[in-house]
Amino acid sequence: MMNTFMGFGRADGSVGIRNHVLIMAVDECCEGIARAIADSIDNGIVVTNYNTCMYGGNEEMINTMIHTGNNPNVAGVLVLAMGCGSIDPEIVAAPIRTTGRAAFSLVCMKQQGTRATINQGKALAQELQQAANAAPRVETPISDLVIGVKCGGSDTSSGIASNPSVGRAVDTLVDLGATAIAGELIELVGCEAILRQRAVSPEVADKLERLIHEEEARWHVDGAEVETMSIGNSVGGLTTLEEKSFGALSKTGTRPIQGVLQINHLIHEKPTQPGFYLSEATHLCGSAGMHFAALGAHLILWTTGGAGFNNPIVPVIRVSGNQYLLNEDIDIDASGIMRAEEGVESVAERIVAKVSQVAQGQQTNIEEFGYSYCSLYQKDQRLETVLRFKPNC
Amino acid sequence: MKKAIQLDPSDNVATLLVDAVKGDEIEIISANNQVIDSVRCLQAISFGNKVALSDIADKQLITKASYPIGLAIMPIPRGELVHVQNVRSQRLDIPDNIIEEIIKQMRIEQA
Repeated sequence: MMNTFMGFGRADGSVGIRNHVLIMAVDECCEGIARAIADSIDNGIVVTNYNTCMYGGNEEMINTMIHTGNNPNVAGVLVLAMGCGSIDPEIVAAPIRTTGRAAFSLVCMKQQGTRATINQGKALAQELQQAANAAPRVETPISDLVIGVKCGGSDTSSGIASNPSVGRAVDTLVDLGATAIAGELIELVGCEAILRQRAVSPEVADKLERLIHEEEARWHVDGAEVETMSIGNSVGGLTTLEEKSFGALSKTGTRPIQGVLQINHLIHEKPTQPGFYLSEATHLCGSAGMHFAALGAHLILWTTGGAGFNNPIVPVIRVSGNQYLLNEDIDIDASGIMRAEEGVESVAERIVAKVSQVAQGQQTNIEEFGYSYCSLYQKDQRLETVLRFKPNC
Repeated sequence: MKKAIQLDPSDNVATLLVDAVKGDEIEIISANNQVIDSVRCLQAISFGNKVALSDIADKQLITKASYPIGLAIMPIPRGELVHVQNVRSQRLDIPDNIIEEIIKQMRIEQA
């Protein structure tokens, strides 16, 4: 395994493994314009807020968009608004500009129509592309990587093959000095006691328990329950909620939990030192991709039974142990564990090697088809208020 | 030989990697694919389900991948299926009618 990668240096000192330009639409009405602009450059990625054009209630989303623009893999951004809503694109572009990235904004209504906006946007996108191309290449140790860890499309093989293998790989990467971040607090209900023991301090343990409790309260509202375990889960072999949760937990490895990164309209915490972190990144895969982007992740390790989750900003390494669902989308085949042909340690070594290769520029299996939507997820401010959760404690 | 995986040395269950029928002798392997034990199934246990590796007492913790996944609600002999018919969550129980449905769908033999 090579211990360094030639990254793309950013003015804020961070180093990306990719060199993308984001075309952000702060309201869904200008998405078509954003797509036309993005198609005119090589590395253009569209990020659209589909959740109304109003600022009120979208504050957390705006925060996630800003921090996504600050991701190390992003060279610059163009932020668009139609102009009839209340989200000024500068409230996204200006904070991104303070990191030294090129960041422009454009209000469609102030241009001479849609075609004129697209033409103006294409010119700005060209400038962003040139700024991206001028990013200095910086030799960077693998230990500087920030890695998101996520599961989805889970089945029996996940708890036996892909999750333990990724967990072992996460331990190896953390021991090398890297940073790993998991989320999905709703999936950790029942694991609180074990997680407290992994926390580096009582403060971290208390915060962790509080945030898991809050997530449980958001999803388990009396009279409007959502399922935690299906009959299918149990027929497949899961006996209790704890077993399901611990299966998901095993992808996080065993190293101490340095902190729990909060995401809301006031706070967007990031890792302060290397090590393993939990976060409020959602369990909903598409949106989690954006949360990990906003947390500063370079890439994501994703465990699955078999499906092709992708995110164009943060490359996704897909790991599956289900030989019946494996296809060309899956980057790491862990099914040997299920057939008793390969051990967890050996699969973990292949995952770590893959992380190194992807950091060095190797594309993941479906990276070039990156158009999974950049889904932005936020907590509902009305529900937060009803539940009396305090965002900044 | 049919196999089941013990994810952590401290576990008192192993997960079947194939379907087993009553009387099958199952090889137990570690997470790193070393053969460590062999257990005779006292009943049918399907792929992905758990077999008891030792005699488990009533109210004893069930441990998988080093984590406590529930409590035995009756003695579970080595070789028996460890599942909803003899284990309960310490956190949030599956409703009784759902447990009945799972037992029915899986055709779990009960003593």
